[in-house]
Amino acid sequence: MKSKLIPIIIASVGLLLLVASFLFKGSASGDLDVDIVKADFIMPAAHRVYANPDALNGKYYLFKAKITNNTDQTLEDVTVRYQIPGYIDWTELTVSGEMFPGQTLVVPCYPKFEDKITEKTTESVEKAQIEISWDGASEDDIVEEEFSFKMTNRNEYVYTGIKKEEISTWSDMFDNDALVACFVTPNDPIVKYYTQNLQEKLMRGEAASVSNKPEDGVRLLASIYEGTRMSHMVYSGTKGIPQSTEDVQSIVQQVRLPREVITGNTGLCIELSCLYASVLSAAGLDPIIYLIPGHAYPGFRMNGQYYAIEATGINGEGLGGIMSAEEAFKRGTEELNDFFKYAQSGDPRYTLVDIHGVNQQGATAMDLKDDQFLRGKVDQVVASWAGGTPIQENNNPQTNSGNNPIVIPDNNVKTSALSFTIPSGWQTYMKPVPEMPILTAQVLAPDQVTTVSVYDIPVSSAQQAMSTIEQYFSNYGMSTQYQINGNAIAGQTYSNNGTFNWVAKALNLNGRVRIVAVGAPDYAYNQKTNEINRIFNSIR
Amino acid sequence: MKSTEFLIVSDNMKTQKLVFTFVLALIAFVNVYSQTQQKIDMKIDAIGNSQITVSMTMNAQQWQTWLQTMGNNPAAMKREIERSMPAYFLDDFKLEKKDMERSFVLTLNAYGACEVDKRGNWTIDTDQKNANVTELTDHKFMLVSSPPELGGNVQQTYTIEFPEEAENIKIDKDAYGKSVFKFKMENSSANFNIMRWAGVLLLLVGAAWFVKNVVQK
Repeated sequence: MKSKLIPIIIASVGLLLLVASFLFKGSASGDLDVDIVKADFIMPAAHRVYANPDALNGKYYLFKAKITNNTDQTLEDVTVRYQIPGYIDWTELTVSGEMFPGQTLVVPCYPKFEDKITEKTTESVEKAQIEISWDGASEDDIVEEEFSFKMTNRNEYVYTGIKKEEISTWSDMFDNDALVACFVTPNDPIVKYYTQNLQEKLMRGEAASVSNKPEDGVRLLASIYEGTRMSHMVYSGTKGIPQSTEDVQSIVQQVRLPREVITGNTGLCIELSCLYASVLSAAGLDPIIYLIPGHAYPGFRMNGQYYAIEATGINGEGLGGIMSAEEAFKRGTEELNDFFKYAQSGDPRYTLVDIHGVNQQGATAMDLKDDQFLRGKVDQVVASWAGGTPIQENNNPQTNSGNNPIVIPDNNVKTSALSFTIPSGWQTYMKPVPEMPILTAQVLAPDQVTTVSVYDIPVSSAQQAMSTIEQYFSNYGMSTQYQINGNAIAGQTYSNNGTFNWVAKALNLNGRVRIVAVGAPDYAYNQKTNEINRIFNSIR
Repeated sequence: MKSTEFLIVSDNMKTQKLVFTFVLALIAFVNVYSQTQQKIDMKIDAIGNSQITVSMTMNAQQWQTWLQTMGNNPAAMKREIERSMPAYFLDDFKLEKKDMERSFVLTLNAYGACEVDKRGNWTIDTDQKNANVTELTDHKFMLVSSPPELGGNVQQTYTIEFPEEAENIKIDKDAYGKSVFKFKMENSSANFNIMRWAGVLLLLVGAAWFVKNVVQK
């Protein structure tokens, strides 16, 4: 009996294992390795770029997932789908027929948002949910992942999406330059209406795109300027603040759309540049936006030649002089000469955005609906061209930033306390920003990189002085982080131009605090350390 | 830009740029006014990953520029390549410079280079219409192109080596008329179920033992 029992038991165990192997295929999820790289910001203005895998080399994805089958089974019909609640319902990204043990599936996600996303006027934090399933997967097997990201409002432009620890150059800090083209809206019905009025009522006919003559193009450029000047359009700042996520730190700039610039009759340099580019594009020219440190200006390219105008020459009565179109074009040409001088020497801070070129790479503008109210506003602007009050021109045109630099020829800062040695060849500007009376003087190195700033603040402590400076900075979209150690202060200032590292000394005078700060942009700080230390040590 | 790129196309026509942009990133800062040759070997393994080897010899001026911009900073080069192939997961970068010959060899792995469609067909797309493909062996193919983006001065010779497991490799056209490699591939390690085979083994042993005992009696 025993001789039969043992083989029967062995055979029974074998049978059980065989049956079990069909009944229990095992849980695979424990060994399905998922690695996700996500975007930290999504800009509604660029929603068409995110939707297009070919746009700008496919670098603007919502996430990419690397899924590796670490089980010992071949998974069939592996399906990856995702949703963004409130924006995109569950959408299938891919179905892979078979996934062998060890095989890796790479799935990038280019989300197709609805056009109404461009109506988003507030920033929010959204969640993306990802689900990975396969044939025969039980509820417990299905892999679910989720992550959050910042969805900006339609006007916000994030300067870079590169992780902060990866940033090493100026170009890295402005990696999203091409997305400026998303704010150029030649097909916006309001911009088209404005352009048509400009061509008809102001220019009395325009044929630059037909004649292909540079003089016709320049006439159009000058006419856009005249249009803004005659409607009393003014230069004005908007919010630009540094924002951080877990991985990315970037300035987020509010950019008013061309239709908002036209109807609001005010714009910042980049906004005016987008307006010009929109009108030029609508008129059939090849618009170009030139980007230089702290500034942008528009122009066009024709027959291989580049042209530019200083759009911010309109300034506004509150900011001082207003350039004529001729002066603005002259200034633009000078800036263009500088631009090519620096760009050709390899300075990465001098770049241009060829709007049509970038459009061809998939960076296209958002869809905007017609609006009778805004058309009415355009009519008012057009009426001002005919009967508007002429503005008295100032023969001393100012720069784009609204600054009023006063150059002191003797190159010295007269201070009763905390004086310092200015190297020869440096330029001193007394009260360079009238809107910031606490800034007594600024001294710039010939290469415009190292800067010494002298502040006199009517407070009683260095801490209060720094708080006051911060308040002023916030008006210009800048923010500061600092540490006070005795009378020495070290810090960083974040602005549209990037990060500026500085060291300073503070001194309490009668009823005020004087701060002398010396520093340089972070990309050049190490290079300028000796120079900065020398000046810092000379502050007495 | 797209005409000479290798693309991987999945069911919903999302695209991932593979070799060509990678090569562009490598020589983006090098003047290519004179005729230059690049050799790009893609070795696909049995689970659809690809080992890519790029080798290139430059003239003195190009070598100097390449060294200044990338060659002497492999970390920056790796970063540029990763950024130029944003939809990919790459690793195992190895750069070997031969200063005396003014040449370099770069190897890296690209995960999920091939994909399997719903019908179990493996595909890898050349993204070229009427691609100039030569069959070297049953599992090895050569493709020659001169990207117009580089003024036609760079001749790129790709060799694509499929694994032994790949069968019925053929050059077909996708819905857009572009050349695409299609093949079948079974995985030898797939479906090996220890529990099932142990059960069969025990069943056989038990049955044999039982029969033997019955026969002996």
